[in-house]
Amino acid sequence: MNKTSKPSLSAGAWLWLLLCAAVLAYLPTLLTERAFLGMPLSNTQLLNLGLSQINLMLISMLGALSLNYLTGCAGLISIGHAAFFATGAMAAAVFDTQLGWPFPLVLLAAALAGALAGTLAGLPSLRVRGLYFVLSTLAVHYVVTYVFLEYQFKYFDVVGIPYATPRLGDWELNTPVRWYALLLPLVVLVYWGLKASLKSREGRAMLAMRDHELAATSVGVDVRILRLKAFALSSAIASVAGALFAYYLSNVTSEAFNILFAIQFIAMIIIGGMGSLSGSLVGAAIWLLLPSIIGGLSPQSSESNEFLGKLLVEHRAQLVQLIFSILVIVFLIFAPGGVAGLATSLKNAWQAWRAKP
Amino acid sequence: MSTVLDIQHLSVAYNRKGLALEDVSLQVPQGGIVALLGANGAGKSTLIRAVTGLLALHHGQITGGQVHMLGQLVSGLPAHRLVRLGMGQVPEGRLVFKQLSVEDNLLVGAAVLPRAQVKDGLDAVYHLFPRLLERRTQAAGWMSGGEQQMLALGRAMIAKPKLLLVDELSLGLAPLIVADIYKQLRVIGETLGTAMLVVEQNAKLALSFAQSAYLLQQGRVVLSGSAAMVAASPEMKASYLGEARQAGKASA
Repeated sequence: MNKTSKPSLSAGAWLWLLLCAAVLAYLPTLLTERAFLGMPLSNTQLLNLGLSQINLMLISMLGALSLNYLTGCAGLISIGHAAFFATGAMAAAVFDTQLGWPFPLVLLAAALAGALAGTLAGLPSLRVRGLYFVLSTLAVHYVVTYVFLEYQFKYFDVVGIPYATPRLGDWELNTPVRWYALLLPLVVLVYWGLKASLKSREGRAMLAMRDHELAATSVGVDVRILRLKAFALSSAIASVAGALFAYYLSNVTSEAFNILFAIQFIAMIIIGGMGSLSGSLVGAAIWLLLPSIIGGLSPQSSESNEFLGKLLVEHRAQLVQLIFSILVIVFLIFAPGGVAGLATSLKNAWQAWRAKP
Repeated sequence: MSTVLDIQHLSVAYNRKGLALEDVSLQVPQGGIVALLGANGAGKSTLIRAVTGLLALHHGQITGGQVHMLGQLVSGLPAHRLVRLGMGQVPEGRLVFKQLSVEDNLLVGAAVLPRAQVKDGLDAVYHLFPRLLERRTQAAGWMSGGEQQMLALGRAMIAKPKLLLVDELSLGLAPLIVADIYKQLRVIGETLGTAMLVVEQNAKLALSFAQSAYLLQQGRVVLSGSAAMVAASPEMKASYLGEARQAGKASA
């Protein structure tokens, strides 16, 4: 969690950062050429992953980051995150598909629409707490998805809303590599932005409000304004992610933003660790990539056993889900603080071990 | 002598029925330390809530009277505004921000200061409580009760309040630690000139610390005056300090 901060990075940290940057820069080449430095790699060796999945993961990371900011850092549990994705998708439909605005302006409009919807959705937080508030976000979810459905059928049809390939000037986002080049810096930007905001006076006050509302009030924190701000910022990010999601799929229907879509973000931040921004990234990666990794491992092991092989082939999707769910449950039993909590306790154990004479 | 906190004929009710405080008047003079005494349910916490603007959170409301701080009417103002006007609080049960580091706890308290004064504020708190400096980067929730109480006190004083409301400081702490924290509280009062209203179950301790005291019983002030006078009064002895009859209750 965001406990301490060193003023500057150590040499080791810089090395790690450089290594990460190198890996991330090389990733699209690796996944599109399916070869490492000219050496061809099999699907299994590449963990059955493609760049498309990575891109969807990056979009989900924006969702997980924004939800963790709201829930883990501001202490507001929300199951309305699909609604803000839907808001962004709707904004993109209105301003691009219908009005033909340029892509950057559409994203800006999506952010504003999200901030507005988020502020409205956050209003009940001024009066109600805990479970009652969660229910109010559920209501927001159903209201927004209903509006989306009505909108979709009024201007489009059952097939869904189509989205044109977005372009930045002459640069068309028509390949996964180009999407990657847009999404990766965006995720990094949002991550650093949120991280910096938590270190500001308001960010610190927000964490204090999460830890103890009454105590925060007693030292001069206006919790009502802070709640609305947290909601507005979180939904603005989610809305932009929703617009990108719609563009990326090039066609979405109202069903895309169902309640399961909202819950998956909650799962991501629980797996990653409540209140940890970097945990949200890991949580989103696990949630989006692990099923396909499990799916990629199954065919080889099936060859040895006739019955098992048949089972694996016929019910592969269900089995992947089953194994994935079990892994998640086992993980949460042994690491209730998520990946971030696990990392912290490992770090503490390491330091304790080193401190021993 | 000017008053920092002036409570006039304050009445408070919860859920619009039954008065929890009735016609209570109380003054805290500039730089003075005033003890607020009373048994459980006498209305001490209600008084603090009314002064700090947190009554609404507990479904209570002021039904009569006014509260002035430094000449300004403050009853009815939202809690967070009062802090900016110079009211500091050490809430009952300490209520530190458990997941935040010690320093971040202090920085939350320092947010009402101009940025240029934050560093000096931190230094002043660390000077008063060197233990907090040692624990600077530690999560507040992992500290002992006494250290958390020091932190709660430091978090309140860093904003340089004109008036400090201290609620049940001794709750659940070892006597030695309590004595130590009270000593530092006195230093704060002397160096910053902070006036204090101290709510304390441990009447003996409070009376040795404060200059004057008010005794609440069932929502009314039944006795007020200098600490020595209150300590020696028969009402105090009979109802509170626990002569033979109530010995068990008072020592709890």
